[in-house]
Amino acid sequence: MRRRLVSIVLALASFAFGPASADADPPSLTVFAAADLAFAFNEIAPRFEKATGARVTLVFGSTGNFAHQIRQGGPADVFFAADQSFIDSLIAERVLLRETRTLYAQGRIVLATARPFGPRLTELRGLLDPRVRHVAIANPVHAPYGRAAEQALRNAGLWEALRPKLVFGENIRHTLQFVQAGAAEAGIVARSVASVGEVDWVPVDASMHAPLDQAAAVVRRSPRPELGLAFIQFVNGPEGRPIMKRFGFMLPGEF
Amino acid sequence: MDFFPLWLSVRVALSATALTLLSGVPLAWLLARKRFPGRHALEAVVVLPLVLPPTVLGYYLLVVIGYRGPLGRALAAIGLELAFTPGAAVLAACVGSIALVIKSAQAGFETVDGQLEQAARTLGRSEWSVFWSVTLPLAWRSVLAGTVLAFCRALGEFGITLMVAGNIPGRTQTLPLAIYDRVQANQMGEANALALIAVGIVVVLLFGLSRLARLRY
Repeated sequence: MRRRLVSIVLALASFAFGPASADADPPSLTVFAAADLAFAFNEIAPRFEKATGARVTLVFGSTGNFAHQIRQGGPADVFFAADQSFIDSLIAERVLLRETRTLYAQGRIVLATARPFGPRLTELRGLLDPRVRHVAIANPVHAPYGRAAEQALRNAGLWEALRPKLVFGENIRHTLQFVQAGAAEAGIVARSVASVGEVDWVPVDASMHAPLDQAAAVVRRSPRPELGLAFIQFVNGPEGRPIMKRFGFMLPGEF
Repeated sequence: MDFFPLWLSVRVALSATALTLLSGVPLAWLLARKRFPGRHALEAVVVLPLVLPPTVLGYYLLVVIGYRGPLGRALAAIGLELAFTPGAAVLAACVGSIALVIKSAQAGFETVDGQLEQAARTLGRSEWSVFWSVTLPLAWRSVLAGTVLAFCRALGEFGITLMVAGNIPGRTQTLPLAIYDRVQANQMGEANALALIAVGIVVVLLFGLSRLARLRY
């Protein structure tokens, strides 16, 4: 019994050191991209693959997490941040290649209303309505869209009044889920993720907040920097731009 | 539907559980049976992973095993890379679950009557043999319970894994990360299917183990 038990445990433990998987071939290009790009990049990446023959692995998540991971050797070739400040500090730390830094979009925020709530809110003041019990925004401490939402609410003179109603999402997709699920009657989210079935939205005037300039750059450790740069240019190029525009991003040259 | 995350998660959880057993059971025995300086400090450190938020734990772990970190550099010197590999997911699952094995096994060992072990010693058994023939057989239900908890925790590990292994589809995306990703991408159908599979695995496993627990050591 003892010998059998020990050998089973040892055999299982050795799994950890076995080959990673059948398709352990490193994909040709790994892109770390901010959560607000998920819908647009899922359309752009296959076109890039078709145009170049390269394989693309998209990883979506929080810009702050990605910055920490890339600093520690995270296997990204390109990093699309939701906020250019992350790109700039990683360039200063010589983690990203300065010459590849590209402004690829400007984000927009919208006022989103959960459909079951009823009337679509058309202006920020509508959030004061007592029937709106929760207002979802991304966490303004670290999420760029949350910061923009806070600025817009402050500029509208509503921040203090709305504070008790605010619920914070970890990133912009998470914030939208509060509204999608109806847990929050309304929220302020990115235009790029707002077009889902359960939600109605109206744009918030861009002058209400500091511009959400989004930048990308190639990672210094990447073994294929040209391909990374090619992807950035593709997003900014004739195939990528119409898609980015459709998801509500302002594009370089338009702002 | 892509079943890679399922396969990866089962592998990660199995090997993590085995590794936590190999390291956790001796530690539990040490804590239960030996008096040494720093024992209470060690007990506190053991439960720390349950106290700290997983993402915070992952953040620090990545600083240690990342390519600039002390362990990361040492591993790189011998040609190994741990961060952002399936191995990192195993490490994350171990860190998240080891406290469960240690605390249950320790409680089990502490309830074993020391006089029985003493009797075995007077009959000339070595410490090693006492452990295998007296202590473990009497405490094995506790060890098994801790192992089941650890496996479930390892299968569901999210926060530490997200940080140290990344969420890379086809390489380090485990089942919980895949479910999260599908929810993020608004693919609720796939998310629900994967969640159902995770629940199924655990139900089958717990059923099997409850039958196994009726067996004698």
